Amino acid sequence: MGEPPDGAPRTGVFARAWARALSGTSYLPMPQAQLETLLQRLTDLLAQTLRTEPLDLRVGHRIATELVAAHIVSAEALGRTLEVVQLRLLRDLDLVADDMADRMARLLAAVATGYARALRDRTLDEQETIRRAAMTAQVEAEQALRASEARFRHQATHDALTDLPNRTLFGQRLAAAVEASAGGGRRLGLCFLDLDQFKRVNDSYGHRVGDKTLISAARRLSRAVEPHLVARLGGDAFVILVERSTGTGDVVAVAEAALAALSEADVVDGNDVAITASVGIVERRADDTSPDELMRAADTTLHWAKDAGGARWELYDAERDTREKARRALSAAIPTGLERGEFYLDYQPLTSLQDGSLLGVEALVRWRHPQLGVLRPDRFIGLAEETGLIVPLGGWVLAEACREAVGWSAATAQPPYVSVNLAVRQVRRPDLVQEVRALLRRTGLPPDRLQLEITESTMMSGAEEPIRTLRALADLGVRIAIDDFGTGYSNLAYLRDLPVTELKVAGEFVRGLRAPEAADERILASLVSLAHALNLTVTAEGVETGGQAERLRAIGCDAAQGWHFGRPAPAVNILARVKGGAPC
Amino acid sequence: MSGLQRPDWAPETIDVERPSVARMYDYYLGGSHNFAVDRAAAQTMMAAVPEAPLMAQANRAFLRRAVQYLTDVGIRQFLDIGSGIPTVGNVHEIAQRHTPDARVVYVDVDPVAVAHSREILAGTDGTTVVQEDLRHPERILAHPDVRATLDFSRPVAVLVVAVLHFVPDHDRPAELLRTLRAALAPGSHLVLSQASDDGRDDAERAEAEQVYRRTDSPLSVRSRAELTAFFDGFQLVEPGVVWVPQWRPETPEDAEDAERAVFLGGVGRLGG
Ligand SMILES: C[S@@+](CC[C@H](N)C(=O)[O-])C[C@H]1O[C@@H](n2cnc3c(N)ncnc32)[C@H](O)[C@@H]1O
Repeated sequence: MGEPPDGAPRTGVFARAWARALSGTSYLPMPQAQLETLLQRLTDLLAQTLRTEPLDLRVGHRIATELVAAHIVSAEALGRTLEVVQLRLLRDLDLVADDMADRMARLLAAVATGYARALRDRTLDEQETIRRAAMTAQVEAEQALRASEARFRHQATHDALTDLPNRTLFGQRLAAAVEASAGGGRRLGLCFLDLDQFKRVNDSYGHRVGDKTLISAARRLSRAVEPHLVARLGGDAFVILVERSTGTGDVVAVAEAALAALSEADVVDGNDVAITASVGIVERRADDTSPDELMRAADTTLHWAKDAGGARWELYDAERDTREKARRALSAAIPTGLERGEFYLDYQPLTSLQDGSLLGVEALVRWRHPQLGVLRPDRFIGLAEETGLIVPLGGWVLAEACREAVGWSAATAQPPYVSVNLAVRQVRRPDLVQEVRALLRRTGLPPDRLQLEITESTMMSGAEEPIRTLRALADLGVRIAIDDFGTGYSNLAYLRDLPVTELKVAGEFVRGLRAPEAADERILASLVSLAHALNLTVTAEGVETGGQAERLRAIGCDAAQGWHFGRPAPAVNILARVKGGAPC
Repeated sequence: MSGLQRPDWAPETIDVERPSVARMYDYYLGGSHNFAVDRAAAQTMMAAVPEAPLMAQANRAFLRRAVQYLTDVGIRQFLDIGSGIPTVGNVHEIAQRHTPDARVVYVDVDPVAVAHSREILAGTDGTTVVQEDLRHPERILAHPDVRATLDFSRPVAVLVVAVLHFVPDHDRPAELLRTLRAALAPGSHLVLSQASDDGRDDAERAEAEQVYRRTDSPLSVRSRAELTAFFDGFQLVEPGVVWVPQWRPETPEDAEDAERAVFLGGVGRLGG
């Protein structure tokens, strides 16, 4: 490299030395060449300042500021800068003057001062920005936390499909409403709402359409009953909370608005989806109730609406509820009652109208209920039939009757047969014949001393199965009676094909037997002669007076049953009467 | 970065009482974007590894040269994952000096680093900051701000510089990189650097491990072979995976004593 007359190459030599001195002092965010260019310019500035009179110390500050701005920012960088300038600048650039040492010292002092100042400002600025960033981040994190908490709370209290409040939130709102309304005699109400046979929508259009239908139903519901709270309890069940009600009418109006909104035609994915709903309404004073009670009452009422065929609202009825609750409690107690032997049998005589002899007895079940005392069958047989408990109960009656009847042969030469009622459900059971056969074998009761009473309607179902069962029973040698004849279709024609041995004519006909030649008597007379033509015996039920007994005998009726012939009583009493030859 | 258990719905909270890797790094580079905890942690580190600032500087210089190289070969889009706090020599400054329309997405998990970057970059065309975790590359790639800034049908340079040693093996770094690679068009590039124990003897390695274990973020140092394997699917450009000062140095002297920098780095190109 040659040596041109001007100072440029010399400055270059010095700038390179300066750059080397700076390397490694802090991160220099520029390529080496760029750094050298910068330092060369600063070197020129230094040299020019040293040569110029008067000495301008502001240039020292400016140089320092430029260094810091270029991120030459470490204590080491300053130290090395001072060192390299002090050691080499005058020599490398051939700067000579009397007061040069003095000027150099003052200029370097200005550089050092300016550097410290610029670095301090820069440091403070950076501290400020990082602090602000930390604060911003903190605020953002807290906001995000709050937002996600809110989202989480929303998810925990809302139904994912319809975005309606869910059971949890509804429970809270209801509790709060009851509490807030208490004391002031204020009223509130609930509508329990359930879509009728919603499963059919899912089954015929698929779950996607089902879900969309639910979403649309939810939307229509909330709009229709605004501002009342609508919640989804799950499935197709919704509930509406009506606060500050002034009476039943308010809540009925809400239910009607809900039903109307749901009955609007709805097109989901191109399908016309028609839905109806049932609503159970309860409305009362907040002081008289609790959230649980309200929910239960509304739920019960909803079932009434469903049982009544749906597409309607029903209003809660406390009496009906109490009644049904008592019935439910009673039916629930039947199995334990059976276990604990609370049931027993009384018997009512079936007496021959020809000679007054005791032909048979009808077994009548009694329940010695631990709280309610002795209950007659009309209190619990209907319940047992509804719930299916009639099967074990009826089975017990049948077995008990057979067991007792066996003993009677020892007491009298002509022991009466025992007549036992069979419910429809019992007749429909495939193993009934098996059960009766086993029972007869076990007890040793001759088959002809067992009579099974079935109602007309059992046979009228038209199904083949019960008829086959009856045939099988008759083949065992068991007597079959049609109970309560005359209350149903009273169709004699079909009796011809059945293995029936006896007709029991309902008490209603007997009660009409006051005047001779009354219509009832003529009907009864022809019924008896028809029955006889079919080889059936006829027993009249509900015979209460001697006069009735007389007319029945005149008509040709074979046997009778009723208070006139003896009230239901334990078997021993009845047998005692037979032995004592008491007139019947 | 924190292994604290928290419910799924709760976002990471800020704790400026804990040293942050990003701010320690800023301190090594001579910046003042740091707090007393960060400086204390950095000084502890420097007491054990006096070269720590030098390592940071060498790495940052590698990043600068790599970005310079990428703009020279025509890359105009950058995805800088683990971009950190530093405000000197940021990727967009380097890139936009030669390619004014270069687009840069900065990604970091550190919320303070992200907030800081947002403030610094406000009003800077072509740049975006996203708070995300390298360990969820699919979320980074799907992020709407990332999608709005970068066009993945054209070459993108993905920078994962001085970050991978914070991703332990059980987070499957190779898989993360594969996921990123799968989103890139041919001609895209990958820049990696990370702390390495390559060529150290067992005693030195044990001593280093000791130090790292004392810090808040234990480092997963890796060998040259491991780092090279991370470039799977890419073609390494010259000079391959080397100590960062050796990667295309400006002057031969710059590459002297290169292994003191502790960081290995390299650049790969996606063929096709
Ligand atoms: C040493 S700095 C590197 C900064 C910059 N890439 C460079 O090389 O100059 C490491 C950065 O990675 C970030 N980081 C660490 N783990 C990360 C992860 N899993 N995902 C994203 N960023 C991460 C830290 O917050 C920090 O800002």
